[in-house]
Amino acid sequence: MKELTKLLDRIIQRVNINLRELDYDITAFVKNLVPLSQMVKFYSFYGMTPHHALDFQFKHSSLAGTYFLGKCRTNNSMLYKSDIRGDELKHGGDVFRYQKFEIPVTRDEGIEIEDSFLIKTLVHNYSHDPESLEKFFIRDTVSTHYANIHGSPSDGSFLGPFATVDLTTMWDCVIGTFSYVQAGEISHLNVGPGTVWVRSADQFNFLYRHPINKLRRYIDFAAGSAPQGIIMDFVEQHQEAFKRVFDVVNIGPSVPVPSNASLDRYAVVKPKTRISENVLVAQRAYLENAWLGKGANAQENCYIINSRLEGFNVSAHGSKIIDADLNENIFVGFNSFLRGRPDSRLTIGKGSIIMPHTIIDIKKALRIPAGHLVWGLINNSADLKANSMALDDFCKIKGRLLQGNLSFEGCGAIFVDAFRERIHHILEANGAFFDGNLNEGHAQRNQKISFNTIQPYPDGELEGLYPTIIIRP
Amino acid sequence: MSDYLVQEIMVPLSEYATVPEGSTLFDAVLALEKAQEDFDRTKYKHRGVLILDKDKRVIGKLGQLDVLRALEPKDEDPGEIKELRQFGFSSKFVHKLRKQQRMKAKPLKDLCRKAAKLKVEAFMQAPSEGEFIEQEASLEVAVMQLVLGRHLSLLVTADKEIVGVLRLTDAFAAVFHTMKECEI
Repeated sequence: MKELTKLLDRIIQRVNINLRELDYDITAFVKNLVPLSQMVKFYSFYGMTPHHALDFQFKHSSLAGTYFLGKCRTNNSMLYKSDIRGDELKHGGDVFRYQKFEIPVTRDEGIEIEDSFLIKTLVHNYSHDPESLEKFFIRDTVSTHYANIHGSPSDGSFLGPFATVDLTTMWDCVIGTFSYVQAGEISHLNVGPGTVWVRSADQFNFLYRHPINKLRRYIDFAAGSAPQGIIMDFVEQHQEAFKRVFDVVNIGPSVPVPSNASLDRYAVVKPKTRISENVLVAQRAYLENAWLGKGANAQENCYIINSRLEGFNVSAHGSKIIDADLNENIFVGFNSFLRGRPDSRLTIGKGSIIMPHTIIDIKKALRIPAGHLVWGLINNSADLKANSMALDDFCKIKGRLLQGNLSFEGCGAIFVDAFRERIHHILEANGAFFDGNLNEGHAQRNQKISFNTIQPYPDGELEGLYPTIIIRP
Repeated sequence: MSDYLVQEIMVPLSEYATVPEGSTLFDAVLALEKAQEDFDRTKYKHRGVLILDKDKRVIGKLGQLDVLRALEPKDEDPGEIKELRQFGFSSKFVHKLRKQQRMKAKPLKDLCRKAAKLKVEAFMQAPSEGEFIEQEASLEVAVMQLVLGRHLSLLVTADKEIVGVLRLTDAFAAVFHTMKECEI
């Protein structure tokens, strides 16, 4: 395991060099976060479909428990139980529109991971950087448990647990625990824990900061320790259920799946679950007593338990919905944690938007009216009042809004439209609107998929590392 | 070269307001008031107080702005407001937030009462490299240092000892006088 130890040290040093201006040293956070013995225990696997590129190249890397789809490269990197999902990458011949530019994409885009360590991280979507159309790069970067790197090339950066960088190119940044950033491009920025920041220059700027003492009950990350808190405990409690789906080679669906829906074989489905038409359930999703109405989806690391989603619901990567009833067309953002109680349910009205990284954890029943924007940390109806607004009212904001821990500047209508447009695009991409002929998406294309597994060296100096592997049609 | 040397237009240290290290802001304000009463050169009053260590060496300057800074409420974390700039909020937005924070703070009298007891060391500015000038230096050199460093005064030295203060207002008066002579 000598080479693996050297590789980890090398990655940590490279990130530290990039973060020196922020005076940030990741060593104590990362050094023993995943015991290196774990890197030998799990196989890596890749998907093959007629709809996605088959183009993998793994070199001097450790890939334990990681899933790959599409065109992916890894070099001098360690990936632990991560999902590198290249099913939304750009194709050669596409035209990328950015501001007034129409830029031709000259070859198929690929995800290129170099000198990086990704732990239980999701990488998805495509590079939104107009300067890097064909390369979705992740370089000199460490991301920790349940982070999301979504359409966000990254260089010299560190992501804390449950952090999300969305549609943002990132240079030499620290993204704190449970922080969400969608800001186009950022550099040399240390974003504190529990920050939710959505900015479109000259249009709007949304910044919410979770009350840090309350947030620590849910998720906390200190140097030398693993991530802790209610959300981490919740996820850990359900890990055992995934063991079976990863251990068994041939596994069929345990519930009926309509011909136009997709249930990934690496998802966990417990009894009394209903999958309706055009539903997409991604790998590492967990469903238990869950009703998924037409066109609903459950992305990677989603948990839907004792809940009913009426239809056309987006449950973004890492969201958790427990003891809740969601009407139609509800968006639940990345890593949100929505928990009612069996006898005190959470009800969300039609068309509401739950911002990424929202926590709703209630002991008394709570009803969110239709058409509301909800954010922050909510334990009761008073918190809901402070951390929500009717979308129609939000659209009227022109200038500034200060409400509780939220600072908003710009045009509310543009902000809401941008979200609505994106939600529609997600549903479309996932195949929610498939009519048997038109509007095919992931739910239909991901049905016919085979998986191959690859293994690391089992012993010796290269223990835990994979040999150089090139996989092409 | 101008006709003026720094030592001719400076305020000697003996005429300047000074307080010993460990003094309170209120001590400093009293010292400034006394120096202003005693100083009869012009209508331009002293605007600062020098802080001396036990060997009577200058270790810092306390200006009017430093005293006002002591009144700023610390109840809320100003770091969070400062951060808003790095998150791309406009200066107008940040200003509004600061104003709101200020309005929520205690009345001025309460703030003054509290600030008066604070030690000068917490608010004084330690002199920087470009703030010293030899007493034999010409007005041109003094003007250059004041402009480049955007200083309100310079500490004048003789054999590495501070012997006086050259104020911006004195340098300006000398320049103004020279201009008038040129015009004639």
